[in-house]
Amino acid sequence: MAAELTVLNGARERDLTKLDEYRTIGGYGQLERARGMAPEAVIETITNAKLRGRGGAGFAMGRKMSLVPPPDKRRSPAYVVANADESEPGAFKDREIMRTAPHRFVEGCLIAAHGIQSRNVFIYIRGEYLTEYEVLSRAVEEARAAGIFDDCDVVVHRGAGAYICGEESALLDSLEGKRGQPRPRPPFPPVTGLYGGPTLVNNVQTIASVPAIFELGVEEYTRIGPESAPGTVVYSLSGNVNKPGNYELPLGTTLRELIFEHGHGVAEGRALKAIIPGGSSVPVFTPNQLDVPLDFDSVQAAGSFLGSAAIIVVDDRACMVQLGLRAEKFYMHESCGKCTPCREGTRWLVQLLERIETGDGSQRDLDLLRDVCDRILGKSLCALGDFAVYCVASYVDKFYDEFKRHVEEGGCPYGGESSLDGVVAPSDQHTHSPVASPVPA
Amino acid sequence: MSAPETAADFRQRVEELKALYPDSRSAVMGALHLAQKRHDGWLPPEALEEVAEAMELTPAFVQSVASFYDMYHLEPVGRHSIEVCTNLSCALVGAQAVVDAFEQELGVGPGETTEDGAITFRLVECAGGCGYAPVVIVDQRYREPARPDDVPGLVEEIRGR
Amino acid sequence: MSTPELVTITVDEVEVQVPKGLGLVESAAMAGVEIPVFCYEPRIGPPIGACRMCLVEVEGQGKLQAGCTLTAQDGMVVRTAQTSEKAADGQESTLEFILVNHPLDCPVCDKGGECPLQDLTFRYGPGNTRMTFPKRTFDKPIPISPLIALDRERCILCYRCTRFSGEVSEDGQLIARNRGAQSVIATFEDEPYRGRFTGNVIELCPVGALTSTPYRFEARPWEIQNVPSVCGMCPVGCNISATTREGKVKRVLSRNHPEVDGGWLCDKGRFAYGHLQAADRLVDPLRRAAPRYEELSWDEALEEAERLIRTAGSRIVTALSGSETVELAYALGKLLRQGLGAHSAVLPEPVGHSFDAFRAPLSAIRSAQLVVVLGDEPVAERAPIVELWIKAARREGAEIVHASSGTPELETRLREAERAVLIVSGDDGGLATTAGLDRDGCAAFRLPKTANGRGVADAWAAAADEEPENPEPIGLLIVSGDEAAADPNVRAMAEQAETVIAIGMFRRLVAPWADLILPGTSYLERDGTYVNLEGRLQRIRRASIPPAPDELAVLSRLAARFEVEISPYPSQVFDEVSAICYGGVPYGEVGEQAGLPPRVPASQVRGSDPGTGPEATAEGPGLRLVTYRPLFSGPAVERIPELQFQRPGPEVELARDDAQRLGIASGQTVYVRSNGTSLELRARLSRELAPGVVRIPDEHAAGLEGRVEVSG
Ligand SMILES: Cc1cc2nc3c(=O)[nH]c(=O)nc-3n(C[C@H](O)[C@H](O)[C@H](O)COP(=O)(O)O)c2cc1C
Ligand code: SF4
Ligand code: FES
Repeated sequence: MAAELTVLNGARERDLTKLDEYRTIGGYGQLERARGMAPEAVIETITNAKLRGRGGAGFAMGRKMSLVPPPDKRRSPAYVVANADESEPGAFKDREIMRTAPHRFVEGCLIAAHGIQSRNVFIYIRGEYLTEYEVLSRAVEEARAAGIFDDCDVVVHRGAGAYICGEESALLDSLEGKRGQPRPRPPFPPVTGLYGGPTLVNNVQTIASVPAIFELGVEEYTRIGPESAPGTVVYSLSGNVNKPGNYELPLGTTLRELIFEHGHGVAEGRALKAIIPGGSSVPVFTPNQLDVPLDFDSVQAAGSFLGSAAIIVVDDRACMVQLGLRAEKFYMHESCGKCTPCREGTRWLVQLLERIETGDGSQRDLDLLRDVCDRILGKSLCALGDFAVYCVASYVDKFYDEFKRHVEEGGCPYGGESSLDGVVAPSDQHTHSPVASPVPA
Repeated sequence: MSAPETAADFRQRVEELKALYPDSRSAVMGALHLAQKRHDGWLPPEALEEVAEAMELTPAFVQSVASFYDMYHLEPVGRHSIEVCTNLSCALVGAQAVVDAFEQELGVGPGETTEDGAITFRLVECAGGCGYAPVVIVDQRYREPARPDDVPGLVEEIRGR
Repeated sequence: MSTPELVTITVDEVEVQVPKGLGLVESAAMAGVEIPVFCYEPRIGPPIGACRMCLVEVEGQGKLQAGCTLTAQDGMVVRTAQTSEKAADGQESTLEFILVNHPLDCPVCDKGGECPLQDLTFRYGPGNTRMTFPKRTFDKPIPISPLIALDRERCILCYRCTRFSGEVSEDGQLIARNRGAQSVIATFEDEPYRGRFTGNVIELCPVGALTSTPYRFEARPWEIQNVPSVCGMCPVGCNISATTREGKVKRVLSRNHPEVDGGWLCDKGRFAYGHLQAADRLVDPLRRAAPRYEELSWDEALEEAERLIRTAGSRIVTALSGSETVELAYALGKLLRQGLGAHSAVLPEPVGHSFDAFRAPLSAIRSAQLVVVLGDEPVAERAPIVELWIKAARREGAEIVHASSGTPELETRLREAERAVLIVSGDDGGLATTAGLDRDGCAAFRLPKTANGRGVADAWAAAADEEPENPEPIGLLIVSGDEAAADPNVRAMAEQAETVIAIGMFRRLVAPWADLILPGTSYLERDGTYVNLEGRLQRIRRASIPPAPDELAVLSRLAARFEVEISPYPSQVFDEVSAICYGGVPYGEVGEQAGLPPRVPASQVRGSDPGTGPEATAEGPGLRLVTYRPLFSGPAVERIPELQFQRPGPEVELARDDAQRLGIASGQTVYVRSNGTSLELRARLSRELAPGVVRIPDEHAAGLEGRVEVSG
């Protein structure tokens, strides 16, 4: 096994959607090995491998597993829930993992289930991923038919289009058949989760990383990437770059290496203007930050988040006000409507950004924009409210002159030449159930 | 996933879904997906009532769930759907030109259905194909990347279905 | 039960000791500090942390926390807006966001002056608005039912109303539609919000988004008075506040008695007050002068009443409604029994005291592990709030068992459960005693049919204890109250009686057949006491001046003509009754929030229980028919146009198994037949109904009897 590939290993050479093929490269062998171990030892192995969550928050998976009370202290059954709702703008890694290496993901689920002594795995896959749902369902059927599940069962559950359902507690409500809205926490899912039972929620990639830990052994696995968070990550590279795509690399790869070596540089030889390092919800980087290693701690030290390791490259044709407006329309559209600051604040931000973008804004509006960001930050029920301001606030802070020129010049300095000019968003189209216009003109 | 033809078929399929979960209410999303298939791609009030009946929930509850998610349509749709992602990665590499091309070709704007009821044209948020942008989704299948030049061919292909 | 561990927390520098795990909002209140809330309402379930009004700073936590979702932990240090700039900014932010799209139409809003949003904005909000965009607009107001109007622009999406509908009344009809900034409160396809408890959402709504249609534009908060009283519409006896303006009742609100009603009212109790203004309300005494009635002065009326009574001598029968106050029933008893020796009465229902040995507050149901509901009549139709307690118990994990009658197996289960509650509408077959429900944590309740049937029986019995000898023929029938007047059995007696005096509120109920009609009053117009189904003695208060003197005053004058002394003051009459049957409790001590008398050991229970079992219907083919009086029926409800949509349709309830066997689907039209009668009804499937039983509201079951055949 090439040390660099643990999650997508073999997936580009072989048809790993087939059980036989997966078995020829040792598939489900790690499950067997893990099942030969005591559950506590499984958790210990994952803990020692220092596997951190790839879904956004970077929480240690082993620690999360150990928060699940042991069977004799449970009042209801425990569950494993795989978060396959991947909807963060810029991210498309879980999709490739599920489409090309579904069995590895399923194997990871079963190892996790053994670790926390659960007999029920639910995979919540976003509704748009129909092909992936079919591939995954077939893999699940195949594994079930082959008797691999033993006394455990795996259910693939299709979402129906709601970004918020990627947030773990909203996902649980959605899985329970309700509107997918976040729950107040604590209690956290490992203690009180699905149907009130202890629940381990992990991202697809986190779970798909588990078999390699058992295959390579903790020692070898922790040699990949930085000490604080070893292993590989699938970087989703997109935007104005010559070779976009998924790149599985050791954590800690620098932005420069990713964009210029693997991604072959900025498209059409344009100048780099900005880099979004972790999906649209994180603060933006500027070209002088190209040498930041892309691992959890380094990115955070540099003022942003690795998030879902989705890197969006923005070249010099993009107007940052338009970028902010487009991003904010997404958050307004996806705000679940449960808590006040996020529901009302995102809408207000869109109104302010629209006014500034069209050139009707004043300095007062610009100041208010920044202030409304602060008023939302840290006050919402889940992190979506924060996401909705990390991006825009950082665009204002780092490209303040550009925002100011919109106000002072009464319009976009790009004069219609921005790559984002006139971009419309789903929230601009007729909604499927019109009761009020989201933002009246 | 084929569409359940008869009401009895539908109930049977919903019962199977309910059995997958410790609490049968979890099957409501699956039941809505099935009902939508049975009702020409959208969920008229009768469909919601049908789901409510099969799920032993109130129609109001079912409607509240259905209206939360973008993929359940509460208004009539065309026989086929074309969706274009206009989120950041797609927008940065020319999604709007693809949208414009579709508008031109279909004669309708985003959120609208062609007059013959054949195609509903819609914009969607990030579809998870950012590395293959711009992303177009035709009848729930991804076409990526799609350039403005591809649009006439795509529309012709769909109309031929 | 062990006493809970105490922990010390500090709120705004005030240290307090509170039970561990107590909600932070309540804990702060114990320290004298307010944590403002909108969405938080512990009565409708766990906190949801939605509105973010309650943001506080907790030492050791970087971010502001929603205080409503936290519980007291030892050593916790909390700062609210009073002492933390960060928390103050948090709360101001929340209010700014709430107000961004709020119409601020307070001058024309019914909530104005009693609105939490106004109050909290005044105390914590920004002084000005920075919103310079068009606000979200909606069609408004939308009638979500004939009783409730919804103004979506005012709604702050606290989800109190939808949580009530989903998790308290469990009707699942009021919901949130759409997502994000487009979310709105709605019903399915604009159908009316139908249910027994819908009006509670009006009181729960912290803004003027859900308002009462009958109360719309009726009064401003500074013009009103709230009179604390008790509802007289059913045997639960929910505690109410009657809002009056210029002497008229304009609205009825809950006055939360945590042991009785938990702060909820049914729609009948909340909205039926309009019957006070009914078009056929009697104001003057009337004497039949066939084919018409003539109006009498009160002196003439008393003269006439005296004449009728003297003519009948002791051949008098009194029919009581069960809506009389204890005092009124006693006064009637005293005059007729002590004064005239007329002991014959038709009591509203048989009453027994055996359950006094298993007495407990209704709230005990919620903590039960096992709740057995015995009898086929729907609990919610007789005592609606009891249904809410049962639902609460189920949510807390209790098992709920419905059965037509007691079985040895049920008895065993009741005996073995640690906390078992038996709820009976009818005969319990001795189950409560044999299952030993006088244990701590257990209880048994019998559901009477009438609001004060128990009190009326107590008072009538207290007046004398001679045996009645039923006169044949009846010289005079005295019909007390509208329920008695509406009772077909009483009507049949009236046909036989030589003369009839009727005391009632509504002309159409008594006009064709009574010889002398004396205007009556409603529970909202009287002072006195009621005994509820728990055996709790509660004070009702006059909220509104009746159009005619109340019954007690009239009886007092009438009695004087027979040299029987009856005080016109309820307090004095009560003291007499109390000395006989309520242990001498003084009137003044009944109090605004009455306590429950202690259990009476089984050996000391007064009298024996009447046989109240369901009439055994002979076995045979077909299904056993149960008819019942629906909650939304009766003289008061019939007079409220806005309540008509709540009345049950022509429906027959079938057990699921029976329906399946007969091939009947929910909503289908079916034929129900018994000896010669055939009715067309809509089928509704029920989980609660025992197999072999069908249930039909009595007003839709005319002609059916005994066992019935049902076919599709
Ligand atoms: C608004 C929002 C959206 C999220 N979307 C996703 C998602 O699509 N996929 C995902 O794995 N985690 C998502 N997360 C993070 C999850 O809440 C959770 O932290 C994660 O699934 C835990 O898995 P991990 O520890 O393996 O990363 C999201 C969080 C928020 C606040
Ligand atoms: S209508 Fe009132 S109770 Fe219901 S969500 Fe809106 S503000 Fe809250
Ligand atoms: S009262 Fe705490 S969030 Fe609403």
